[in-house]
Amino acid sequence: MKISVNTEIAVTYLSSRKKQTLIAALGVMFGVSMFIFMQSLMKGTNDYFEKMSFNTTPHIRLYSENKVADAHMLNSYLKDSSVKILANPKQLIQRQGIINPYGIIEQIRKNKQVADITPQVTADVIYTSGSVQLNGTVAGVDIVEEDKMFDIKSDMLSGDFHDLNRVNNSILIGVGLANKLSLHTGDNITVTSGNGSPMVMKVTGIYTTGVKQVDETKSYANIVQAQNLLGKDRSYVTDIKINLKDYNNADVVARDLETLTGYKAEDWVQANSQLKTAFKIRAMILNSVVGVILLVAGFGIYNILNMTIYEKIKEIAILKATGFSGGSVVSIFLQQAIYIGIMGGVIGIFFGLLISYGFSRVYIGGSTPMGGSLNYIPMSFYVPHYIEAIIFGLLTTIAAGYFPARKASRVDPVTIIRG
Amino acid sequence: MADTALKATAVTKYFHDPVTTPVLKNITMEVKKGEFVSIVGKSGCGKSTLLYVLSTMDRDYEGTLEINGVQTTGKSLNDLARIRNESIGFVFQFHYLLPDFTCLKNVMIPGLRRGKLSYKEVEEKAYEKLKMFGVEDQALKKANKLSGGQQQRVAIARGLINEPTIIMGDEPTGNLDSKNTGIVFDLFQKLSKELGQTIITVTHDEDFAKRSDRIIEMADGEIKSHG
Repeated sequence: MKISVNTEIAVTYLSSRKKQTLIAALGVMFGVSMFIFMQSLMKGTNDYFEKMSFNTTPHIRLYSENKVADAHMLNSYLKDSSVKILANPKQLIQRQGIINPYGIIEQIRKNKQVADITPQVTADVIYTSGSVQLNGTVAGVDIVEEDKMFDIKSDMLSGDFHDLNRVNNSILIGVGLANKLSLHTGDNITVTSGNGSPMVMKVTGIYTTGVKQVDETKSYANIVQAQNLLGKDRSYVTDIKINLKDYNNADVVARDLETLTGYKAEDWVQANSQLKTAFKIRAMILNSVVGVILLVAGFGIYNILNMTIYEKIKEIAILKATGFSGGSVVSIFLQQAIYIGIMGGVIGIFFGLLISYGFSRVYIGGSTPMGGSLNYIPMSFYVPHYIEAIIFGLLTTIAAGYFPARKASRVDPVTIIRG
Repeated sequence: MADTALKATAVTKYFHDPVTTPVLKNITMEVKKGEFVSIVGKSGCGKSTLLYVLSTMDRDYEGTLEINGVQTTGKSLNDLARIRNESIGFVFQFHYLLPDFTCLKNVMIPGLRRGKLSYKEVEEKAYEKLKMFGVEDQALKKANKLSGGQQQRVAIARGLINEPTIIMGDEPTGNLDSKNTGIVFDLFQKLSKELGQTIITVTHDEDFAKRSDRIIEMADGEIKSHG
């Protein structure tokens, strides 16, 4: 390919001022590598917390919401003939749980987005061991399905979760509860539900999710046990938990399921709204830091090019006198900015990868509030971040280079040459 | 007229700083192809200003200017840049080479800018021009490593690279000793006589002016004599 004369001049200018070029490129490099590092850290952390939340939250939870009486029936009967005011509305008397849960499950299973689906009976209970009583909930589940969705196996501290299907009246309790009640695998625990009789259950396993609140209150039992505990029949199901192939579609699918079933479908974003807010704030902080770094790098380039132009103003005048148009002059100086940007960008990508990798090897120990599985700083190595970084780096340099370049193009050769 | 290289009609120019004063007053002049013209006059008489108007670089004037039969007054900056690139060669009092480039590159740049010839051809031509001025052995040195006389010769070579029909010099020998002045003069003469290139120089050097084809004398922004 033929190298244009503008390019040749731009490259010569850059290479005749190696130190300044390098410093400008270093500025871009820091911007780009920090961008990558910050994005990787943010995505890594977000992914980690998302994953953590999926340890306990399904992508979508379908349940029967308590409804409050409204003027719906009055409206359809009286039409618009009068103003209806419902004083002191009360909750409707309705059957608790989901009606025809297994029919609904079969229907939902037809949705191509659904990966896993499992029913659950949630019972509010009081755990009793000796003289200590604690509040909590028992989740009556199909433990094999539950394991598929939430990876119970990796949460197990002792015992075998398959015992829920094999041992009568068995229960899986959280480590917090076990500590508080001083229970070990094989011990007995009395579980009392709000509208049933007390039931003595055998602890066949102890698990931890890493979330303290869950570990201190939630326990797993076979779905039939939970129904027995509540004194309900076999078709009594309070929740249907659904995992999708892509959890990012949860909100859309949840709306579909609401219309399909008439029950409330809560997606994981709603269930973890505090998480999303945290993500947003974190993104804001990190992005503004990166923005400032790129801005500073941009000013560096702006400065250096501006100085170059002051220094070379006579040469610019000569170029214009010998027939270089304003556009060519812009091209010469903009190209310098772009080459600085590319140089800084490429080095920045490697440097960003390096520090991201370095941080991903930093041991931060197991005792985080979220549990024992966070041993290293979570870092994601996500290719689009690197592409974005290069693009942002280049955009900054182009913006920073354009103004000095335009200034150079406006140099009036006559005033400069005449002195 | 086909043999007119440059024609200025009723050119008037003002300086606005600090007060508006006329520097060129109603100047009408014509230079024929192949002519070697010197513009002389006292300092401040406007001869350099006139040259910059004629060169198309200065657009802030009244009247009209024609180069090779084409009116340049009112053309866009880019058009003018192209016209300068193709038809006008420039030699300044202070050589004004690009110090970061080799002499060869300095000569080549306007040729490359024009883009009519290949890189190799421009390079050959640049060598040829440098040879003409006896500085071909300096070709690969950085421009700022040369002596003043050598730099000026390189600068003239640069002015010739696109074989312009008009060569303009603003005191092209102002910085040279008599020996180098002689060399430059002989070259200019050769260019106008043998190659038919038009040469317009502004000069203080009376000997130089006397030896050219025609002397245009200026005083107080007016042409006193067309020679």
